[in-house]
Amino acid sequence: MIKGILSNPILVMTVILFSSCTVFAKGTSPIQVILQRPVGTLRMGDTPKFTGIVTNSGQHTKERLIVYLSLVSLEPGNEHPVDLEDWSAQKALRIDSLLPGQVNTHDWGMRLIQSGKYGVALTVVNPREKKPVVSDLVPFDVQRKPMLSVSRIFPVALGEPVALLMLFGLILVAQRKGKL
Amino acid sequence: MSSLSVLIKKECAEDILSSRSIYFFLFASGLMSIFAVLLITNRELSLLDNAQAVYKMTTIVLALASLVTILQGSDGFAGERDRETLEILFLSPLSRKGLAFAKLGRILFSWLVLFALSIPYLWAVGSTGQNLWPSIYILFITGTLLVLALGGIALIVSARTATLKSALFISVIVFLILGSPAVLGASLRQTGIGKMIDLVDPFMDALNTIDSVVIDSQGFDFQVLRLGIMALYALIVLWFLNVASRRIRL
Repeated sequence: MIKGILSNPILVMTVILFSSCTVFAKGTSPIQVILQRPVGTLRMGDTPKFTGIVTNSGQHTKERLIVYLSLVSLEPGNEHPVDLEDWSAQKALRIDSLLPGQVNTHDWGMRLIQSGKYGVALTVVNPREKKPVVSDLVPFDVQRKPMLSVSRIFPVALGEPVALLMLFGLILVAQRKGKL
Repeated sequence: MSSLSVLIKKECAEDILSSRSIYFFLFASGLMSIFAVLLITNRELSLLDNAQAVYKMTTIVLALASLVTILQGSDGFAGERDRETLEILFLSPLSRKGLAFAKLGRILFSWLVLFALSIPYLWAVGSTGQNLWPSIYILFITGTLLVLALGGIALIVSARTATLKSALFISVIVFLILGSPAVLGASLRQTGIGKMIDLVDPFMDALNTIDSVVIDSQGFDFQVLRLGIMALYALIVLWFLNVASRRIRL
């Protein structure tokens, strides 16, 4: 019988495919997480929302899931994790329960405070599973945008001390003349 | 016009017209100008977001306000004692409590002048971004509460010490203790003890409130606890000042 099966290449391929699928399923969490970046160019000062989608494709309800965002700078030679507090980003979300087939969608907003290359990923931790599920790293570029207006800063930075000097000079002159 | 308002007016006029104050306000304006120019010429600082630039500017204003408050508060009675003018002051029809609160009025006036001087700078660095107006009003609220608390402490010390040097020494130490958590890194301040120090320290309460409003765009309900603690400090210090003012020695 085995000889008969082995002589049929299509049947052999089907058996191999089925076996590999079974092995893959054993090592894969039924929780899937996808992170999507907003469309368009991102500039400093923008507050884009990255959409996180957590799906329970298993047969059982998943409870008390912790979902958190990670942001890393991908500037060549200066790769480092970024403190989300500086970017006013929501750090974590708790999903009390996710029924089989249920999808949880959440917008993760952040304020882009510095230009450069970045990557963002979403991690789902199930307290009952050893391995967290991590989304693909979503790379994005933040274009530099001049945030500070030179035309406003220079007149104030030079004008105010000069105006104060003139004012206090007048006061001193008036004091010497005995008018104050 | 009551004696109290006459004295407050005299103290405020001195504050504007004395050469010491003129130099201080010029120094404050110069410092804010240097920082503002650095914001656009220094590469690292020029990358700052408007909100962060405004936050850093407000930190400078608060530090300057604390400095002038400590100096004026310490000088309040101890300076008059050193210059041998305290006795003449006591001959005025004002009660000693009235004198103490007139001195505090002068300190508040200095703060208001400094605050007014800082507004053009805040506008210059923050008007192209968000949270400019919230940053101005929260600086006013936190600065006023901080100045009341620090000014009160410095006046109490000044009332109880024999010389200006001693009053200055103690007040500066108090200021350094209150300001020291700011030197600690953010990670150290995230520990349980760090969070507690942050909460009970009025100087850190002021900085964290401004950070929360200006950078994190959080609403007033987030600030109630910290502002409440600062207001409590101010009230306690004012009560102690009231008590200490009755026992001012010549």
